[in-house]
Amino acid sequence: MKKISIYQIAAKNLLRKRSRSALTIIGIGLSAWVLASLLGFNQGYDSALKKDIDNMGFQVLLTAKGCPYEAATLMLKGGTGLRYMNESVIADILSQREVESVTPMLMQAVFDPDRGESGAIDAYLGVDPATFPQMKSFLKFKQGGWFKDPEAHVAVLGYEAAELEQREVGNKLLIPGKNIELAVVGILERSGTQDDGTIFVPIRMLQKEFGQQGKLTAVGIKVNRNANTAALENRLYDLPDVQVVSMAQVKNTIMSLVATAKVMVLSIAVIAILISMLGVINTILMSVLERYQEIGIMKSMGAMPADVFRMIWTETVILCIMGGALGLALAFSLAKVTDLLIRRLLPYTPTGSLILIDGGLMLTTFAVVLGIGLVSGVYPAWRAARVRPLESIRSEGD
Amino acid sequence: MAEKTFALEAENLRKVYRRGREEIVAVDDISLRVTKGEFISFIGPSGSGKSTLINLIGCLDNATSGSMRVGGEEVLCGGRGLSESALTRIRRRVFGYIFQRFYLVPTLTLYENIVMPFAFFQKPGVDADPMAIIRFLDLEKRLKHRPAELSGGEMQRVAIARALVNKPEILLADEPTGNLDSHLGQEIGGILKTLNEKEGVTVLLVTHNPVMAALAQRTITLRDGRIV
Repeated sequence: MKKISIYQIAAKNLLRKRSRSALTIIGIGLSAWVLASLLGFNQGYDSALKKDIDNMGFQVLLTAKGCPYEAATLMLKGGTGLRYMNESVIADILSQREVESVTPMLMQAVFDPDRGESGAIDAYLGVDPATFPQMKSFLKFKQGGWFKDPEAHVAVLGYEAAELEQREVGNKLLIPGKNIELAVVGILERSGTQDDGTIFVPIRMLQKEFGQQGKLTAVGIKVNRNANTAALENRLYDLPDVQVVSMAQVKNTIMSLVATAKVMVLSIAVIAILISMLGVINTILMSVLERYQEIGIMKSMGAMPADVFRMIWTETVILCIMGGALGLALAFSLAKVTDLLIRRLLPYTPTGSLILIDGGLMLTTFAVVLGIGLVSGVYPAWRAARVRPLESIRSEGD
Repeated sequence: MAEKTFALEAENLRKVYRRGREEIVAVDDISLRVTKGEFISFIGPSGSGKSTLINLIGCLDNATSGSMRVGGEEVLCGGRGLSESALTRIRRRVFGYIFQRFYLVPTLTLYENIVMPFAFFQKPGVDADPMAIIRFLDLEKRLKHRPAELSGGEMQRVAIARALVNKPEILLADEPTGNLDSHLGQEIGGILKTLNEKEGVTVLLVTHNPVMAALAQRTITLRDGRIV
């Protein structure tokens, strides 16, 4: 026959008031969920933003002068600015030694009254078939391929744009209000970037049809490897009527905007953790007070104060381990829901997954929850360890 | 004539409680020698100091003054007692306790309750297998039951088994039949008697019941904290 250990006694004691233990575990679990989701958001947002920026294919963007924040947001949402600059700027850019290649872009937007209940804006991005596909070499086609003729009436649809327009290769696409028909020659696979929602058309055709010959809304600049991007940016600032937006700047700007939201979420997580700590202390303290006599009898049987302390502390740790496991399971299984909620709350979110939960994050969350358990358990365990056997049996008295 | 071996020697034990300015003398100058293997019952009216005395003897409390030796070790000298940890070490080596209430852990099985003392301490040389005690107390058929499924008599037998697993030198029983009917009370009394006679366990019994008290070799009557 086996003996029983202090740890087994502790574990079995949690079954005494099952609903109380379950509620405490749920409380810890919810805190762990908030914490894991917050930490996951911290690294997920950074990683998704970095991916978005890397997938732009260029490190510096030149736009016509205007609000840099508007330009950055438009660019990340698939736009390239609303003002225009002359094509002659390309020669000036190419003369810089740090520049590897450039690609001109023209964004045009038209109102489509037939879309949705009250109409919507359709945006067309005119790109140069000679340079743009090289910069965006990571884009893969589901059907067809890039157009070759910069003046052809054709279009390549991003994955989501094709889904929205219900088009396949060979179908026609009408630019609303312009009576211009484009033949769909390619549909991209899902890339997880803003390109998924973009309609790409040849730039010369777009300039001609919209009366914007010689005009551009943006120029993407790919910089030589190991080149001094900052020095290039400084020289580009000297060009007339343009503004320079480096991807590093965009990232920093967005990260500083999101930092406020992160601080708020962190505050909520800290409050949730404090509440769950109080819940744990309350549960264990109640349990100790209910078992005052039982603990006294254990001490009369030979339990040292350290034994009792260990037993009660173990109960706390078990609750926290189970709560931590529950919280991580929730964080994993509800990551997509959390992702959707955050997207509704933030003004700009990158296209990739916003919640990134990996092994390191799981360990960190678990360590924090376990730390909470260890700290929360100290007071109840200390109270229990101080129980004197006589106090528990005095009621027996004469 | 061979010298007697004492399980316990107490000299001038006195326990005073303070309630505000009032002093309550619960045990008043009691001296007592208990021979190894002796069965002593303590009787007296409520408030006579029986339980307080047995708590002092059982190292569950420190006396206000006096001296005491238990198992050859001095636990109290001139009113200066040992620390709680030191008293625990003596308790787990020397004593087994049975109380009026059984204090079984409801989430543990009967067997787990019986072996629970081993979770804290196993006396050197003591067999960790409690089956002999379990068979002696006729509990082997209910080992997997929980306390809520046992009768009062069975619960007290479990408490006795729990008190015996570490082979105590002295078994302290404070009103062990107080919660049982007379038939079950006699059964528990019989068990204590057998343990004393067959196993040589020293038994100190506090009781109101004259039938139970009569099982002992010696009966000590207390009144107002004194032996009369």
